[in-house]
Amino acid sequence: MTRPEPRPRRSLGDLSERALAFWLLAPAALLLGLVALYPVARLFYNSLFRRRLTDETGVQPVFVGLGNFAQAWADERFWTALWNTLLIVLVTVPGALVVGLLLALLANLPFRVRWPVRLGLLLPWALPLVFAGLIFRWFFDSQYGVVNDVLVRLGGERLFWVTTPELLFWAICLTIIWKTSSFVALILLAGLQVIPKELYEAAAVDGASRWQSFWRITLPLLLPALLVAAIFRTITAFQTFDIPYAMQNGGSAFETLAMYVRTTSIENLNFGYGSALAVLMFLLSLGVTLVYLRYIRGVDE
Amino acid sequence: MRRLFWLLLAVLLASFALAQQTRLRVFVGGQQRPDVMRKILDLYQSRNPGVRVEIEVGGATSDQQQQYLTTVLASRDPSIDVILIDIIRPAQYLASRWADTIDKYLPAASRQALLQQYLPAYSQANVINGQLVALPGFADAMFLYYRADLLEKYGFRPPTTWEEAIQQAQTILQRENNPTLNGIGFIGAPVEGAVCTFLLPVWAAGGDVTNAQGQFALTVEQAQRALQFWVGLMDQKVSPPNMAEKPQDTIRQEMQAGRWIFGTLFAYAWNRFQNDPDSQVKGKIGVVPLPAFAGGRQASCLGGWQWVVSDFSRNKAQAHKLVRYLSSPEVSKILAIEASNLPVFPALYRDPDILRVNPWFAQALPVVQAARARPQHPRYSEISEVIRVTTNQVLARQKTPEQGAREIVGRLQAIYAGR
Repeated sequence: MTRPEPRPRRSLGDLSERALAFWLLAPAALLLGLVALYPVARLFYNSLFRRRLTDETGVQPVFVGLGNFAQAWADERFWTALWNTLLIVLVTVPGALVVGLLLALLANLPFRVRWPVRLGLLLPWALPLVFAGLIFRWFFDSQYGVVNDVLVRLGGERLFWVTTPELLFWAICLTIIWKTSSFVALILLAGLQVIPKELYEAAAVDGASRWQSFWRITLPLLLPALLVAAIFRTITAFQTFDIPYAMQNGGSAFETLAMYVRTTSIENLNFGYGSALAVLMFLLSLGVTLVYLRYIRGVDE
Repeated sequence: MRRLFWLLLAVLLASFALAQQTRLRVFVGGQQRPDVMRKILDLYQSRNPGVRVEIEVGGATSDQQQQYLTTVLASRDPSIDVILIDIIRPAQYLASRWADTIDKYLPAASRQALLQQYLPAYSQANVINGQLVALPGFADAMFLYYRADLLEKYGFRPPTTWEEAIQQAQTILQRENNPTLNGIGFIGAPVEGAVCTFLLPVWAAGGDVTNAQGQFALTVEQAQRALQFWVGLMDQKVSPPNMAEKPQDTIRQEMQAGRWIFGTLFAYAWNRFQNDPDSQVKGKIGVVPLPAFAGGRQASCLGGWQWVVSDFSRNKAQAHKLVRYLSSPEVSKILAIEASNLPVFPALYRDPDILRVNPWFAQALPVVQAARARPQHPRYSEISEVIRVTTNQVLARQKTPEQGAREIVGRLQAIYAGR
């Protein structure tokens, strides 16, 4: 006769374990709250006040409710900056994904000596954004720049890349794609390397062409990595600041939302309105991230 | 036991001595020769044993320094006592209540006497709404630098009018036939210096942004003529077509490489031309006041740096005393000799010790005396942005001088009206 085993005293043991888990997590949660949530909460709070360091509201902020957001709604410069930011996202995110994918495929080829390829991938990624902006600012210089030099040699004429808004936009996009596609490539390369080789061997046995095995095996299995890269890239594209800033000597012929936030708060010392603009930018990034996350969940299921 | 007693006593005495000592922290920018400032502060410490002065070095440009200071001062941080600020900022420091006014420590009569010693432009630029916000540290202004060797070669004297300068540049460019040589260099990139670029012809033609009462007075016509003048230099091929890409230091570097006949630059350039190891123009550069238009007046853009006491300092009286020293003739002379900074006292422009090191200072006095300050306004940074960005767009041919002028006048009007 077997005696039934005593039931584990679940509730109590669990509770103390849960409590332990809670207390163990508390410092991290607290830290996260301090460094991540507090500044965001503070930003929301600030956006409800008129606070300009150039007048008495710098010392005595005035509560204006959603007044700053109403101001943004009527602010032509805000809409232009938002539009410019969206254009950057629309051009540079797909651009970086495509170029990044090509680079990753290249780096994944069975080279005998791999390090130059890997180094080539790492370098643009490791370079500070402002440096990239300054370097390309020189590439696109109308007088000394390498781009115009090539144009002239090919029989074209000198273009004023940095001071003509339409050309400047493409110059900025090219720089951003150059700078960010290596990051995308790094993520995709990691994704490529976990695809089992047997799948390709099996496909080859079945007589699949290279194109077919790329389309049927590589791309579907790379999708999660591509999504991760796309999320990171989109969020950073919304925050584009350094490259256009450096390429224009700090000017604002082509202004992104992040540049406008900086000018408003740091240069014009209009903290209330600057906070409202930053809140709008934050909400925008958050919205896009949520859409992506939903999509990822869909893919996972 | 006895040893312990002595040790305790020593610690006690030392901490007492430390408590007696005042610590002051001075902020200067990276390009303002912190090494020379340190020497000046060492001298002060040796005369005031109770005071220790620390130096904090900030960004290289006026903008970078102010970005950092904005963070420190907006959070009412008391760690900095004395700050060296750009001439364009006193109005903003008063409006933000970041500066403790100097008036508190000066009876009205002695304030008058003190201000009379300085170059008038600085006493004016540092008095905002009747309050003395800062005291001048060193002067600066825009000058016309020229290739003395080239002008001499073609028998020209340094120009006194823009018409002369243009004509000389055209002649030299034509005869030299050197594709890397350019005529007249001016700041065209959307940086702070472009505000001076815009204002120079306005002033030379007798106009200004505000009238004597401080009301907005710039007309579209004045603004348009000013913008047209610089665009005209490019049309006449005296300046290359890409002036919209050029900040001040690019012009300076190119002139140093022998690529400009004339350059409108601030005082720092002279030292670089003469002393930089890579300079191709050592001993070949002359410097004169900026030209006038025929029948107009000469005008230059005033620069320069001022000392303020932070309103959040915990040692205001001591900080004030230090500022009085830093804005004294003695310090002005050290800065002139060791850092080639223009003095803020007219008398020092004739000082033999200074002239031995910087002979061209003899010609600089009339320039700093005639130089004019950019608009004094708490919202100066917005004024600056409107002017420099629009001027840049006109030079980049995105807007006609007329469109640019209408935009500048319209937007400045709004700022002056408090909108």
